[in-house]
Amino acid sequence: MSIKPKIGIIACSGENKIGGTLSRAAARIVVEKLRPDNTIILCQPLFMAGGLERHGGQEERDFAKTHPTITIEGCEEECAKIAVSNYSGPPAATIYVEEIMKKYPELQPKSKRELGVNGMKLAEKIAEEIAKKVDELYNK
Amino acid sequence: MDNKKVYILPCSGIGKVFGSIGREAAYIVVEELAKDKAKIECLPLIVKGKKEIIEILKANKVIVIDGCPMQCSYNDVIKAVGKVDAQFMSTDVVKECRNLKPESQIIPIGENAKKLSRILAEKIALKVNELMEENQGGGK
Repeated sequence: MSIKPKIGIIACSGENKIGGTLSRAAARIVVEKLRPDNTIILCQPLFMAGGLERHGGQEERDFAKTHPTITIEGCEEECAKIAVSNYSGPPAATIYVEEIMKKYPELQPKSKRELGVNGMKLAEKIAEEIAKKVDELYNK
Repeated sequence: MDNKKVYILPCSGIGKVFGSIGREAAYIVVEELAKDKAKIECLPLIVKGKKEIIEILKANKVIVIDGCPMQCSYNDVIKAVGKVDAQFMSTDVVKECRNLKPESQIIPIGENAKKLSRILAEKIALKVNELMEENQGGGK
């Protein structure tokens, strides 16, 4: 039996829009509940620059160079995708949270700080789409 | 009228709960304790090089909140903006309050993590007041 490499999930760490909060919640749901055996969280702040003098972020960047990585974007700025592309090469896939939000207008999150019941339901929906993408990549 | 604010940049990392404690503390400051004085800003956009945000941060006081020794927010802001006016580590509050062991769950954070966030937020709010006084006095 061959062991397949894990898939990296890197979520937007932004605070400008609700999409940032949703992207992080969805990423945690995928890694903790939906696909715990196939995925691993990569910390975006660490990936971008943190502790580079101690090679802190390098570990995340090296992982993304050698493993398929999915970026979860909280807004149109695509910060996670740009970071991965700059330091590790193009990500295997990118999920745009705002596009998924449009599919569920009835699920309005409470606030950026706290998603609330509907916001968490929306995060679950986003997580399901991420999990589908994980399966696609994992079964390639 | 003086429009100066204190800008708060939490790392918002989701690898461990400490990033989430810092993030929650930032929201308590900007939404409750120092509502008209402080504002959250988006770390990834700064790393991306968003000029208008970088210029605002250069012209105002900046507090960073980090959740691990990698100090991503501090390092990112120093690199992009060239200065940080105060830094807080959520791990310091955890060490100070041994009776409040933070739960490992991140979304949503647990009750102890919430209490720790509020303790941290109170410290940050005091610093916001100090920095605002410096702003008004034309200090450093």
